[in-house]
Amino acid sequence: MKKLGISLYAVVVIALLVWGFYQAIYVAPLDAMQGEIFRIIFYHVPSASVAFLFFAISLLGSIGYLTWRRSRPEWAQRADAWALAGAEVGVVFCTVVLITGPIWGRRAWGIWWTWDARLTTTLVLWLIYVSYLLLRRFAAGPQVQTLAAVLGIFGALDVPIVYMSNRWWRTQHPAPVFGGGEGSGMDKSMLGPFMWNMLAWFAWGVLILALRYGVERLHQKNAGREQMEALESRV
Amino acid sequence: MDQRAILNHEFTVAAYTVTWVIQLTYLAFLGLKWRAEKRAARTGNALRRQADSGAHRP
Repeated sequence: MKKLGISLYAVVVIALLVWGFYQAIYVAPLDAMQGEIFRIIFYHVPSASVAFLFFAISLLGSIGYLTWRRSRPEWAQRADAWALAGAEVGVVFCTVVLITGPIWGRRAWGIWWTWDARLTTTLVLWLIYVSYLLLRRFAAGPQVQTLAAVLGIFGALDVPIVYMSNRWWRTQHPAPVFGGGEGSGMDKSMLGPFMWNMLAWFAWGVLILALRYGVERLHQKNAGREQMEALESRV
Repeated sequence: MDQRAILNHEFTVAAYTVTWVIQLTYLAFLGLKWRAEKRAARTGNALRRQADSGAHRP
């Protein structure tokens, strides 16, 4: 039943992605100023939104792990799995943002990169979560999960700074399209394709996040069993 | 199509392609990780069954 549910959801996600692609390429009109390069927004902005959401899930997971690690170990392990899944999938989406952004910038600004507030804070966010993943991959010992949870909480502090950066400091990055005050917003003809792509990438992100969580829970169970076997063999 | 439009098209295609390459590579990585964990679970269970049957042998 669970497998059937996942398969049906995967089919819906693929249909949404195909529909989103069709909307972005064939339905959305050309931007009067930018031309076709504008279409990158349909992948760039949803990827950034999904990355932010998953870093927030990682934050909640990290807080959950620190809260329950002594009182409810099983809950703490689940929270830790969510924290890791959120961080890892968030890094994947953030990587997409950091690559599609410069591709757009090269055509729109004539440069691949500039040390603008939005770009720099996003790069710092990516580096923090990559260090989180490296810590989990290469450090050993019973304190790794606790250290990672603390790093995950501090890393998430950068998310609101990234979000507000092009509101606080007006540098190179375009002003916010949504929630940017007077004059911001998107034409109706482009809003539909944008929202379809937002929905499609959120749905894809949730699928990948659930898969990553499942893999981590399996890993935790295997690691727990190995520890038990090692203890039993000593007795 | 002028040169500017051709370049815009190529850059858009590049951005979409990179997005899909990253997402599908990660999905493949998850698939491999899932398979490895499943295999480890199966091997562990088999070893445990073997050890249990050995322990009960007179």
